[in-house]
Amino acid sequence: MDFAWSEEQQAFRREVIRFAQQELNENLIERDLHEEFSWDAWRKCAKFGIQGLPIPQEYGGGDADMLTTVCGLEALGYGCRDNGLIFSINAHMWTSEIPILKFGTEAQKKKYLPKLVSGEWVGLHAMTEPMSGSDAFSLLSRAERKGDRYVINGSKTFITNAQNAEVIIVFANLDPEKGAAGITAFILDKDTPGFTISKKLHKMGLRTSPMAELSFVDCEVPVENLLGKEGGGQTIFTVSMEWERICIMASHLGAMQRMLETSVKYAKERRQFGQAIGNFPPISTKIADMDIRLETARLVLYKAAWLKSQGKHALREGSIAKAYVADACIQQALDAIQIHGGYGYMTEYQIERELRDAISGKIYSGTTEIQKKIIAGFHGLSDVPSAAPARREQG
Amino acid sequence: MTEPGSIKAQLMPFVMENAQSKGINQVSDDDSLTASGIIDSLGVFRLVSFLEETFAVRIGDEEIVNDNFESVRTIEKFVAAKLAAKGEKAATR
Repeated sequence: MDFAWSEEQQAFRREVIRFAQQELNENLIERDLHEEFSWDAWRKCAKFGIQGLPIPQEYGGGDADMLTTVCGLEALGYGCRDNGLIFSINAHMWTSEIPILKFGTEAQKKKYLPKLVSGEWVGLHAMTEPMSGSDAFSLLSRAERKGDRYVINGSKTFITNAQNAEVIIVFANLDPEKGAAGITAFILDKDTPGFTISKKLHKMGLRTSPMAELSFVDCEVPVENLLGKEGGGQTIFTVSMEWERICIMASHLGAMQRMLETSVKYAKERRQFGQAIGNFPPISTKIADMDIRLETARLVLYKAAWLKSQGKHALREGSIAKAYVADACIQQALDAIQIHGGYGYMTEYQIERELRDAISGKIYSGTTEIQKKIIAGFHGLSDVPSAAPARREQG
Repeated sequence: MTEPGSIKAQLMPFVMENAQSKGINQVSDDDSLTASGIIDSLGVFRLVSFLEETFAVRIGDEEIVNDNFESVRTIEKFVAAKLAAKGEKAATR
């Protein structure tokens, strides 16, 4: 086992932190208040190479392995306080770039990936519907083959990046009689007639990341915009979620470290009863808990990333990391607020926003309850077939 | 008749236990495992883990497609191709 980052990864980490701290945190309190996405920060991230990190060089990406990608995203989460921007970037990478990279034709990769990597285009996937959230594969959107085109009808909700997207990967059922096996993915351009952003949505946290409902009315896409195979939507979705759950939580690690350091600094500086509050066990113990939480969260997440970097699958480990880090980040924010007392509750100190942003981690990319359902499934429990043995330790 | 030790012989207990948990007691070589619900989206990943561990092969994300996991026959063919490729790689070392 090697727990050390290479010299190159350490240098990369430092460079991402420097870039993020200098370039990405402007006017954040105001932007959070007014739900403003920063195109300037988005473009700077793309120019730096964030959006293209794991994409092969031939499509304009950085060709980074999974661990290096996680290293970069953790550093981004540490240096950039705009968790909404980071959320938008992650949604773009794991639900549009990766599905196209893994399941797209060469023509699709050449058409879409360079512009997604450069940040010129924003991508998203449209999966969740008003009546299908956790039960994602019960979606009601329908696709029908008509000659050399597919016609898509349906509505989607909670769609991240909706207002900014050029490229929409939409999931619809092509053969409802087959149930979930009929779900198919299509690449849709935003100018397709019949496609509309039907309603902007407002959120408790991640407010700088746009979200909306989408409507598809007789949207026609050419057959060459089929992503993967007919009926392959379930797998495309699950693969992209496996990537997303690991990578998106890496940025939470960075935020957790930032909250720990901010709390340590405050505990040393803030004086009550004639001494620094950090000298009082209720505070110092909380700091220690925050450190333990960060360290253990890193271990579970790095393990999942390491498996992927070895070319192995990590659906179970990704779900463990997602569930664990999401809870840990929320508790980290609660502890940070408690240590800061009244100041922590004030917008100006920018810690209350961390809590509002962190709560979403238990919901997006599959709720914590769904992660536990997946984990239980690997042990033959829940509604998953009970044949296979629990996954052995890999290595 | 399934040959002991063959790919199919090692695969069938996994498939049958999954099928039986869905109330299906018979699976022929060409039955669709996905359409019948024997293998769902999570089941595919469990199947992939099973195949990787049982046959010591690596299965990439892009290989997790219906064409490879649609039926016992396609899985058998897919694993055979993976093993053959692995054998060729080892022979050229």
